[in-house]
Amino acid sequence: MITQVENPILEIHDLTVSYDQNPVLWNVDLSLPAGNLVGILGPNGAGKSTLIKAIMGLIAPTSGFVKVFDKPLNEVRSRISYVPQRESVDWNFPASVLDVVMMGTYGKLGLFRRPGKKEKDLAMKSLEQVGMSGFVGRQISELSGGQQQRVFIARALAQEADLYLMDEPFAGVDMSTETAIFHLLQEMTAAGKTVIVVHHDIHSAMNFFDWLIMLNLHLVASGPKELVMNEDMLRKTYGGKLNLLTRVTDLIRQKDFNPLKS
Amino acid sequence: MTFDSNAFLIIFTGSLIAVSCGFLGVFMMLRKMSMTGDAISHAVLPGIVIGYFVSGSQRSLEVIIGAGLLGILATLMIDWLRKKARVQLDASIGITFTLLFAVGIILINLLAYKVDLDQECVLYGEIAYLPIDSWITKNGMNLGPRITWLAGLNFFFVVGFIYLLFKELILTSFDENFSSVMGIPSKGINLALMSIVSYTTVSSFESVGAILVVALLVVPPVTAFLWTKSLMPLLKLTGGLGILIALLGYYLAYWFDSSIAGMMVTVAGIFFGISVLIHSKKPIWLIGTSKSPQPFEI
Repeated sequence: MITQVENPILEIHDLTVSYDQNPVLWNVDLSLPAGNLVGILGPNGAGKSTLIKAIMGLIAPTSGFVKVFDKPLNEVRSRISYVPQRESVDWNFPASVLDVVMMGTYGKLGLFRRPGKKEKDLAMKSLEQVGMSGFVGRQISELSGGQQQRVFIARALAQEADLYLMDEPFAGVDMSTETAIFHLLQEMTAAGKTVIVVHHDIHSAMNFFDWLIMLNLHLVASGPKELVMNEDMLRKTYGGKLNLLTRVTDLIRQKDFNPLKS
Repeated sequence: MTFDSNAFLIIFTGSLIAVSCGFLGVFMMLRKMSMTGDAISHAVLPGIVIGYFVSGSQRSLEVIIGAGLLGILATLMIDWLRKKARVQLDASIGITFTLLFAVGIILINLLAYKVDLDQECVLYGEIAYLPIDSWITKNGMNLGPRITWLAGLNFFFVVGFIYLLFKELILTSFDENFSSVMGIPSKGINLALMSIVSYTTVSSFESVGAILVVALLVVPPVTAFLWTKSLMPLLKLTGGLGILIALLGYYLAYWFDSSIAGMMVTVAGIFFGISVLIHSKKPIWLIGTSKSPQPFEI
């Protein structure tokens, strides 16, 4: 169940990635339209993070290629932004919240140039968008997990990119913050930007994403949410955890399902 | 106490070296590469020998270039062993620098007829002889101690390097993947940092030696990091510690009639020990200054 599009913003062709001869991603072939909020779903170890790392060139593929905005990656780097997993950095690093968000502006500044007022304003605006204005001068070692995650999202916003790749941006983030950030992402996609999010909560995926990629070493599905989100596809993606999933999908089908209210 | 120009020169040179090493050490520490500095300081030996052999002088540009190239080679080798051969970082550092250092010693022996290089001089150095080793131009003009000039030039390069590449150094130290995605050449920045560490090591050899230069790279930044969690104070405190170490090290060495470089590092160690002791007993009301999290609204 793979929907290909005309004039894709991202084209992945026959991508295979392996670590030490062991393929962790087989023959992924998909294309994405611009201005969508895209979710990547799959069980642990399905290759979700590997896929977005391969898109950004952080991992060299064994075969296949990636084209972004119909160009090779190196020509469009300033238009791509990345929110890595929170655990990928050491939060004891001596920097303030503002310092980290300012990092998002460094790519466009270029070598040797120092960030000035324009960059600072941009960083402040980004912090405001994720509701972290009150933490500007705070050292990052003093933040909670959810706050660290919001700082990372603000840093990506400050980059003013056209394509955003986010690796589990909602890990450790509470429900209301998650919803608020999802609304922010929807505003961004409404403005023509494309946001790709590695996600593991099927319920919120159903509510917020426009387009879904389902992955389990192979590409199971890629297409508009309405076409892709069904029991057959979920069964193929999640395999063994079938019983639980059938229950979950049943619940999702009941329209006003909300685990907090019911 | 009267002004002693020799004492001043030694303290001044010692401070220049300690501050240069400290500044670079801050970034090495933040990259979790403090021990790579150790590796580099030993691995440059073959480069020095070859540079000496080619130029016929211990004080030539070739020696510095040779050392710089070997420093980069050591960095690349450590990186390669870690990523491609999947050897642990500590093990790959251990393999790389001992191997290159051994090659250097063999080269010294093989080229002994041409290269009059004393391993002890390279390993220990002696800053106390600095005032009698003057830089005299061809016209016979005395410009002052040669090693002070070397240390000054090195200090200038280190400060310039950090000033120019400040934001790149910070970003690649904090989040290498993010910088790669943005197109900032993180590998190039890393190699540039390693080259300047190699250069600093070589230009500090004659005064403090290869072993003690490692202490100056590692101890002041780590001590300062116990006291502050923001970057500019961290750099300032490291610099201040460097000067204090040189000053106290000189007078203690004078008092005990001992090695100045050795005393400098002992002082650094004592500062570190005191900091650790104070911190392990720090009351809770001094550590926790964070406010309660604010509600999140958009």
